[in-house]
Amino acid sequence: MKFDTIIIGGGLSGLVCGISLQKKGKRTLIISSGQSALHFSSGSFDFLDRMPDGTPVENPIEAVSKLPAGHPYSVIGRENVAAYAGNTKRFFEECGVTLSGDPDRNRFRITPAGVFKRTWMSIGDFALADSDREKIGERILIVNILGFLDFNTAFIAEGLENLGSQCRCTAVKIDELEHLRKNPSEMRATNIARVLDRQEVTDKFIAEVKAALKDEDTIVLPAVFGLKNKSVTDSIKSSLGDRKVVFIATMPPSVPGIRTQLQLRSVYEHSGGEYLIGDTVDKAVVSKNSVMSIGTVNFGDMSLEADSYVLASGSFFSKGLVALPDRIFEPVFGLDVDCPAERKDWYSTQLFDRQEYVSFGVRTDAGLHPFKSGEPVMNLYAAGSVLSGCNSLYEGCGAGVSIFSAMRVADLISNKEE
Amino acid sequence: MKMQENNISANGFEQCIKCTVCTVYCPVVPVNPLYPGPKQAGPDGERLRLKKGVFFDESLKYCLNCKRCEVACPSGVRIGDIIQSARIKYSRHSPSLRDMILASTDLVGSTATIAAPIVNSVVRLKPVKAVMDGVMKIDKHRTFPEYASRTFESWYRKHARASQDGYRNHLSYFHGCYVNYNFPKLGIDFVKVMNALGYGVHLLGGEKCCGVALISNGMINSAKKNAAHNVGLFKESVENRKYPVVATSSTCTFTVRDEYPHLLGVDNSSVRDNIFLATRFIYGLIDEGKVKLVFRKDYGRKIAYHTPCHLEKLGWGIFSTSLMKMIPGVTFSMLDSNCCGIAGTYGFKKENYQVSQAIGKPLFDQICSIAPDVVVTDCETCKWQIEMSTPFKVMHPVSILAEALDLEATAAANR
Amino acid sequence: MNEPEKKTEYDVIIIGGGATGAGTARDCALRGLKVLLIERHDIATGATGRNHGLLHSGARYAVTDQESAQECIKENMILKKIARHCVEETDGFFLTLPEDDLGYQAKFVESCRAAGIDAKIVDPEEALRLEPSANPDIIGAVRVPDGSVDPFRLTSANIIDAKLHGARILVYHELVDFIFEADRMTGVKVLDHVSGEISSYYARFIVNAGGIWGAGIAKKAGATVNMFPAKGSLLIFGHRVNNIVLNRCRKPANADILVPGDTICVIGTTSTRVPYDEIDDMRVTPDEVDLLLSEGMKLSPQLAVTRIIRAYAGVRPLVAMDDDPSGRNISRGIVLLDHEERDGIKGFITITGGKLMTYRLMAEWTTDLICRKLGIDKPCVTATLPLPGSRSDRMEDISGKISSVHLNPVKASVGRHGDLAGQIAHKDDYDLSLVCECEDVSVGEVSYAIDNLDVNNLVDLRRRTRVGMGTCQGELCACRAAGMLAHAKECARDARKDLVNFMNERWKGMYPVSWGETLRENEYTLWVYAGVCGLTAEKSEKDSKVPETKED
Repeated sequence: MKFDTIIIGGGLSGLVCGISLQKKGKRTLIISSGQSALHFSSGSFDFLDRMPDGTPVENPIEAVSKLPAGHPYSVIGRENVAAYAGNTKRFFEECGVTLSGDPDRNRFRITPAGVFKRTWMSIGDFALADSDREKIGERILIVNILGFLDFNTAFIAEGLENLGSQCRCTAVKIDELEHLRKNPSEMRATNIARVLDRQEVTDKFIAEVKAALKDEDTIVLPAVFGLKNKSVTDSIKSSLGDRKVVFIATMPPSVPGIRTQLQLRSVYEHSGGEYLIGDTVDKAVVSKNSVMSIGTVNFGDMSLEADSYVLASGSFFSKGLVALPDRIFEPVFGLDVDCPAERKDWYSTQLFDRQEYVSFGVRTDAGLHPFKSGEPVMNLYAAGSVLSGCNSLYEGCGAGVSIFSAMRVADLISNKEE
Repeated sequence: MKMQENNISANGFEQCIKCTVCTVYCPVVPVNPLYPGPKQAGPDGERLRLKKGVFFDESLKYCLNCKRCEVACPSGVRIGDIIQSARIKYSRHSPSLRDMILASTDLVGSTATIAAPIVNSVVRLKPVKAVMDGVMKIDKHRTFPEYASRTFESWYRKHARASQDGYRNHLSYFHGCYVNYNFPKLGIDFVKVMNALGYGVHLLGGEKCCGVALISNGMINSAKKNAAHNVGLFKESVENRKYPVVATSSTCTFTVRDEYPHLLGVDNSSVRDNIFLATRFIYGLIDEGKVKLVFRKDYGRKIAYHTPCHLEKLGWGIFSTSLMKMIPGVTFSMLDSNCCGIAGTYGFKKENYQVSQAIGKPLFDQICSIAPDVVVTDCETCKWQIEMSTPFKVMHPVSILAEALDLEATAAANR
Repeated sequence: MNEPEKKTEYDVIIIGGGATGAGTARDCALRGLKVLLIERHDIATGATGRNHGLLHSGARYAVTDQESAQECIKENMILKKIARHCVEETDGFFLTLPEDDLGYQAKFVESCRAAGIDAKIVDPEEALRLEPSANPDIIGAVRVPDGSVDPFRLTSANIIDAKLHGARILVYHELVDFIFEADRMTGVKVLDHVSGEISSYYARFIVNAGGIWGAGIAKKAGATVNMFPAKGSLLIFGHRVNNIVLNRCRKPANADILVPGDTICVIGTTSTRVPYDEIDDMRVTPDEVDLLLSEGMKLSPQLAVTRIIRAYAGVRPLVAMDDDPSGRNISRGIVLLDHEERDGIKGFITITGGKLMTYRLMAEWTTDLICRKLGIDKPCVTATLPLPGSRSDRMEDISGKISSVHLNPVKASVGRHGDLAGQIAHKDDYDLSLVCECEDVSVGEVSYAIDNLDVNNLVDLRRRTRVGMGTCQGELCACRAAGMLAHAKECARDARKDLVNFMNERWKGMYPVSWGETLRENEYTLWVYAGVCGLTAEKSEKDSKVPETKED
């Protein structure tokens, strides 16, 4: 089978790249070996929360110029990063995903642990606070759904009370959700959201919240609304009228993340892109610094060919990188990986310190071509968290690197062919 | 250091890192609280069962075996296989008469075919439905698939067999129970299309039911016997005659390729790569430039394509959709990835009827909103379910090809 | 401290909440003594909780140490009666590999029989049929009555029974100093780590049951006990590879025991002498991991391809004989020191040495000594009186009484708490909701533990319930459990810090084996806790009142 571009990896980076290329009239194929990390999203996109030395970042676009040379943003180029950052909101809006926030400014989100964390843009309905010192409301009602263990109201209340708000926690019971509770493990955010996607159930929820409401000016809700039916989220906001409604992420699975994934995939497929899920690339023919063809488990003998290939296979979780006791490798093409040889140098013994392994990945040249045996592979591009040069968790740059590198790769591919 | 190079446990249960993605894509969880869910029933439960067999829970029977969890899993865990293997290993539940009848598709099929007109009208009668519902626990709402009055095999012997040796290329056709007993027309369409493409179509010579219904109804020994028998026929075809094996049913294809080794322990490794679904086989021929398709100029259809669960698992939906998109005059809509809810014999059972229909509802709603001329899918049970639950007719891609191809011109082009 | 010291009078104060301390508290309480037990961390945090969890038959010691072997098999048979919910009668094989001397087997069997251990030679083929994970190359196998024992459950059951008989248990209470009146030790000054207060408690006898830490405790009393800490590292695999304990039939050496325990199995150990000042922070090195793996694979080749979820290390309390301060003459046997006789310190007793298997015997000896000194003539009943949790005849009845469609959480809780599981509320859907999905720990069980089992933090909760001990190592359950603790303790701030501590404690056991799925699991855990939740090290234990528990 022949395509213009084959993208390995169907997460945020692969889909942004695929949609961008489809828009330019390319025939693309995405191969994804399972669902992506978007399923565990915080509901927000980080661009650059802090510098590699730990300095907090207020204006990420400005900060990019101070990053070291090997950083993916430096490879993409400061001007390009600024342009893509400026474009991001529109790109997602066109895909049916509304983002709030400004390209050149970091704000704060409230985490499910009740902590204020710096971030860049949030998906849809997550409120962003301008600072981590200002309260989001005077009197706050924090509402959970009875029996839902993955939304910790006590943590959130404590975090908000630290800033001087008065909080009250309550849990509402919805009959339609009671059947989920009969199952010991399946009262999960997405299963709840599937039921709440029915407008009449969300209406009941709204009625319960109204009944519980006293003089609170702000209402905090778990992000379990609008998995496939976005209008239920809007109905909550409009029905609760003058009160401020703030959604806070739950523990995984992430409803806003999955909604984004579904939306991006749908846009991609409707634009004619092919998406293979549950398949793994297990063969790659590379000759003279060029990928000739690849093969997958499901395709067996039938090879897949393209003019360009994009590696957006993610990090360890998505098996873009594989760690063995004595080495780390890139499994599809056997590309050169930036990482120390000895296992003891992969990690810090304190969990919440900077974990070095997060920054491992494939090195690329300025054209985002990764290296194999020291030579760049000229029709192959790398995008997203498979790239080395940044610690996406410590710096808070995962989504930005995924989106901007994908946009850059799409530009490089179409420019090359023009 | 060679140790820990290839960490793999049975069906990959220990590769699970508890990310919960499988629970998002399970069609049963949202509609049936009695089902523990793929994560608990699968990898979580497996650790407990290895500790003590008492942790096996009969509620694992609510798993549809649709494998959507496996397709979604980012860790390569064969969740459905873990669940079905646990049922095989631990279940002490013996199949009821109803389950045995539903599972024995070939035995029941051959009996019913003889008396097809009577059977078809009898199973439509209200009193009979009431008995089936009350005594047999087959849901009364269920429309039974009709039995054909003549099997595909007898049609083949009478009308096709003699001419098949005259073609340049050859294949063996695994028609499955459905084509043989319920819907010979699909088999006839397949022979027409393949003949036009220059392929002689041969029967395997005594194929047995692939066994999918036996597996899901817990009749593992019978399933193993069928599997061993069929693999013997595949070997004869692939190794001795050098004929690839092609099937029109996505579920039969999936079963003989993957369930045989994974669930039944029947080794098919020497023939597996030569067992194809019809659309995969035809697309492969086109891709390699071995055949040419000539379409009719006057063809026009608004098609909505539904990917059956087992075809998603095979990863071959792209071949069916690509073929449909090739046809000039076809307006193509892709239906969202959803289980239709029938899952073979699952939806026939009274206790599953409500769940089955609830699972399929999003799909039925979407079909109705698109209102196509025809729904296309590669699975016979999806066809029953969709035809029963929507006003729309369902066809197999091969039957669409049979309609859309200028068969004579195609035959001429491939001579 | 300006507060007047509370003058409380006990018969016995026991320092140390390991199996020995807990067992001594129970025995003393059963004989009518007024008991106080203090423990600076949680129960079972020292060597008690950091070993194989092997219910020795004694076979391992038969050739080299008949006395230990005899003690073991006696206690083995006792524990199978009194602590049924803590032990599993798996039996064990002693395997001879081609590289081992098959001649050793005869000597081994003979020594076992001499010690009273039922050792049977089994045909290698039969052994492989019974335990398919064993190395297929074995040339010999001997079957012995080994088993597995859960040290947390065992200690907890002793504590529960001690409390039922009037004992007072103070966890997170650390000895600051001893109180003397003339040549008699009369009490202890104790720091409460939770409140920060120091209190004094008085007793007629004070028992040092501090295990390896007993040397430091004795030193505070002015006595010298020479201890030689030996570090033993172990690996936990993600699931049960074997159902029968596997040993090597040779002179005891590194990594020659593979024990199935609950949902997992454990290979160990290494043995390294470590300086006494390092015993509070045992970490497993990459070399030890490699050694455990390469040796373990010889017992069961499957270990080479099985996911490792943790590595951990414990310190054996090896005691030098009093006449040999050099440490060359080490006893693995029980050491009971009457400091009145030995050092002229009246009212002070040290119980140390020994092993988990002999905790009950150690408690019996200690209690006998105290009773003798007090002139109390009451027999020890701990060898026959079942522990709470093991009193019901049929464990299956308990889960049978609780009717529900989803019974697995109930079955799992019965496995962990025996007949006490009847006290766990499993009456509605919420009680049955799972907190920990790997180990099937329900909301009801977590509530029961918080309310009844002296749970101060998530690590304590883990020891009582197995929350966070499955393959995900807390990734899904820790946040849920922290929420429940926040609710119970009415302090979200502490609960959040506790959550950070807990995840960090889990990582301590994961990083030595951080490759493959374990590294993937950790990356995912970081996405959730550092990314989505925004937890950081800055908000961690620094200002926490509860000391960091250095254990696995």
